[in-house]
Amino acid sequence: MGATTRTVEAPRTTGAREILKTFLLLELWVGLWVTLKNQFRPHITVEYPKERVELSPRFRGIPRLRFHPESGEELCIACHLCETVCPDDCIHIVSEKKPDGKGKRLVSFEINLERCCFCGLCVDPCPTKPLTAIYMSHDYEMADFKRDAFVAPLKVLLNGVDPKDYKE
Amino acid sequence: MGQDTLIRNVLIPTAQILAVVLILPLLIAYLQLVERKVLGFMQARLAPRRVGWHGLLQPIADAVKLLIKEDVIPEKSDRFLFTLAPIATVIPALAALAVIPFAGAPFTVFGYEVKPFITDVNVALLYLLAISSLGIYGIILGGWASNSKYSLLGALRSSAQMISYEVPLGFAIIGVMMLAGSASMVDIVEAQRKAGVWYVVPQLVGFFCYFIAAIAETNRVPFDLPEAEAELVAGFHTEYSGMKFAFFFLAEYTNMIVVSCIATILFFGGWLRPLPNVESLWWLQNGWLILLPLTLGGFAGWLFGQRTGRGLPPMIAGGGIGAAAGAILAMSDLGGLASLSLPAVSGAFWFFFKVSLFLFMYIWFRGTYPRYRYDQLMALGWKWLIPLSVANVIVTGLAIVVKGAVQGRG
Amino acid sequence: MFRTEEMDINMGPQHPSTHGVLRLVLNLDGEEIVDVRPVIGYLHRGVEKLSEHRTYAMIEPLTDRLDYVAAISENLGYCGAVEKLMGLQVPPRAQSIRVILAELQRIASHLLWLGTHALDLGAMTVFFYTFRERELILDLFEQFCGARLTYNAMRIGGLLEDVPPGWTDRVRHFLSIFPSRQKEYEDLLTVNRIWLGRTQGVGVLSREDAVALGTSGPTLRGSGVDYDVRKSQPYSSYDQFDFDVPLGTKGDTYDRYLVRMEEMRQSCRIIQQALDRLPEGEVRAKVPKYIKPPAGEVYHVVESPRGEQGFYIVSKGSEMPYRMRFRSPSFVNLQALPMMCKGRLIADVVAIIGSIDIVLGDVDR
Repeated sequence: MGATTRTVEAPRTTGAREILKTFLLLELWVGLWVTLKNQFRPHITVEYPKERVELSPRFRGIPRLRFHPESGEELCIACHLCETVCPDDCIHIVSEKKPDGKGKRLVSFEINLERCCFCGLCVDPCPTKPLTAIYMSHDYEMADFKRDAFVAPLKVLLNGVDPKDYKE
Repeated sequence: MGQDTLIRNVLIPTAQILAVVLILPLLIAYLQLVERKVLGFMQARLAPRRVGWHGLLQPIADAVKLLIKEDVIPEKSDRFLFTLAPIATVIPALAALAVIPFAGAPFTVFGYEVKPFITDVNVALLYLLAISSLGIYGIILGGWASNSKYSLLGALRSSAQMISYEVPLGFAIIGVMMLAGSASMVDIVEAQRKAGVWYVVPQLVGFFCYFIAAIAETNRVPFDLPEAEAELVAGFHTEYSGMKFAFFFLAEYTNMIVVSCIATILFFGGWLRPLPNVESLWWLQNGWLILLPLTLGGFAGWLFGQRTGRGLPPMIAGGGIGAAAGAILAMSDLGGLASLSLPAVSGAFWFFFKVSLFLFMYIWFRGTYPRYRYDQLMALGWKWLIPLSVANVIVTGLAIVVKGAVQGRG
Repeated sequence: MFRTEEMDINMGPQHPSTHGVLRLVLNLDGEEIVDVRPVIGYLHRGVEKLSEHRTYAMIEPLTDRLDYVAAISENLGYCGAVEKLMGLQVPPRAQSIRVILAELQRIASHLLWLGTHALDLGAMTVFFYTFRERELILDLFEQFCGARLTYNAMRIGGLLEDVPPGWTDRVRHFLSIFPSRQKEYEDLLTVNRIWLGRTQGVGVLSREDAVALGTSGPTLRGSGVDYDVRKSQPYSSYDQFDFDVPLGTKGDTYDRYLVRMEEMRQSCRIIQQALDRLPEGEVRAKVPKYIKPPAGEVYHVVESPRGEQGFYIVSKGSEMPYRMRFRSPSFVNLQALPMMCKGRLIADVVAIIGSIDIVLGDVDR
């Protein structure tokens, strides 16, 4: 395609229209009409704690671990890949050999939510396809009064964050 | 001095003053809620809704917040002037209300005749001009005493702006004074009744000048440079908080109401109904019976429409229901309302109806326009408004002379 | 006699209209600007240094945080640079989706610019309207990649996932309503005499100065210089799309405003074309598990909404870059500020900052 350019200029009116525009303040009335018209458009804000926006399926909230939906077992095989790939060093995994000698299992799995940047990179390499053990949940409320609360231990990661009422 | 004189000369005026001074802050608090609502709806959002039904108690919450807030006085400010400034701003603003007639006809309370205004002086317009000029002192003192560069710049802009725009404001008023032959508010309205036409018709240019100058005088958009938050943070009241800020706020909105009242009285016939001399429209005198429920119904429908996302139809429906209810009320003559002649109520309705339209215009402008620059504001005032308003005075004068000559000969 | 003195006033780093943590030391004579000294660095996070200790995949979330208003353009530029270094061929479908995302991002970024620019000049309502439409775009991004601001939307070699089902129809829906909404902003601003007064003839940047200072993007094109990376060095299949480059004539704030308004229309055109002929196929090239580009260096530029966004990578063949350098358009464009402000009034400074559309995350890196 050839290079095409377009020169932008202020819209011009000439002659009688220009005079009318100057003295009747036409464009000012047009502006007023826009705001008046918009008064009857539905509002777009959401009254947050009462209403919530619908999140899309791919929404990236607090990262969590999950059980297998049918067998109820832990999916994580303690491969440390998410820990390796995390750009913020926020995942900390301790694992041990399974008693039967095959593979490893989790002893502890912590995500420091203070460091987490919710990039979702930890989900990509998770080997338990198609259902990844670590996933970005739809939880997004994580205010708390204590810093300790941001280091989410295994139990919280598996069972989800309890909805809190924010009272000191 | 008898008891009667005492009541007539001391008690009644005191009660009137108290009524104005006590009701006004409440009115302003709710004016501010309306402003936030209208702006919110223009901007596709809902405005305050947390405190009370549709945020109706929000003004009370705001007032309480301002009252109990810490009152910070900057360390290097001039403490005396810093405290004086808000008071010096709010007093002239309130004093201006003394000469505003809210309705024409007096009403009787316990056998005493009470006029629906505090006083009627024959130099009311001059008084208003003088008083509104005094308001500048408070602003410039506040900006100076804060000892902050932003405040100082805001105060300087503000005083320059108010002084410049007082000139066209004064000239715009002169046209009306010439037509009415009086500077008393009550006389001006009565003159409009006699003329049978609101002065906005013969004085359209004068009204235009007055309106623009009044917006500038009250520092509202598009002339809100003294408190242009994008440039000067908050202008002259940057350093103020708590009650002192509330005083500035009160003064600004009082000024807004005062200039709207003056515009209504001078150009829109004050408490007169539309077309005051057309006898067949007598029912407009009791128009409030229909218009008031119509407005309230429309307002409720508007809130509902915003809430549910249905837009215009609920507002029309609400207005329609209100109008129908009002009409039924008027026709069925329930409690003798329609035949009841209440000139004070009817006058006050028309007066406040017109004032609210003006206030709506103010809010509407705020929601629509960008802000002028300082030099452009001065250019507009000195190069356009002053010549225009002077020309208006000259043309009005010539018209009066010519008319007088023609009538004198005939 | 009266003694007058010049006044120094600190605008920022905490100020409503410096768009972040820019600090301007204004030297004033009354309200007239004698000199402006921008002071930057309040948002410096050392992203370039941080990048030297991250693998190539880990850097992408960092690029999100450079120009956080147009994160997708940064993603696109960074991924493009690494792909160039590795000699990767991105599948055509991924290229087209990247173009759609980048152009949506351009509209979103320009909407944010328009809203804040108008807000600075006192037109409060435009801000809410533009954010209403920006929200629609952010919803599209959320559906695509799950985030609304720092997207991390691309991966080296293509995209992580294909677009979700129905996504293209939603983009088409946005394209169908956007022109009428843009008309509303224009009704409120383009012909408004107050807006014209505030922007016309303000902050004039001549053609020569604009080139000499190295500005780019709408700031450069507003001065009438025909330079758009999408045309001059096409990347990600931009050469297949038909669009115009809007140019200003006078180089003032109003011209830069018009250029950006026109760019939004052109972006709509590009998205429409990309949607109409979206190729089928894979969205990610074959990429090794550990990304280790060969030793060498690469410079890759993209046209971000703010201008020429460059990525310079030096690789020593390890899995982390040896040196990383970002050429951020806001930083360069900010240099033009003192020149444009001299002799103007305080109120114009606000208009000029708005018109060069800086993002402090991009300036300070």
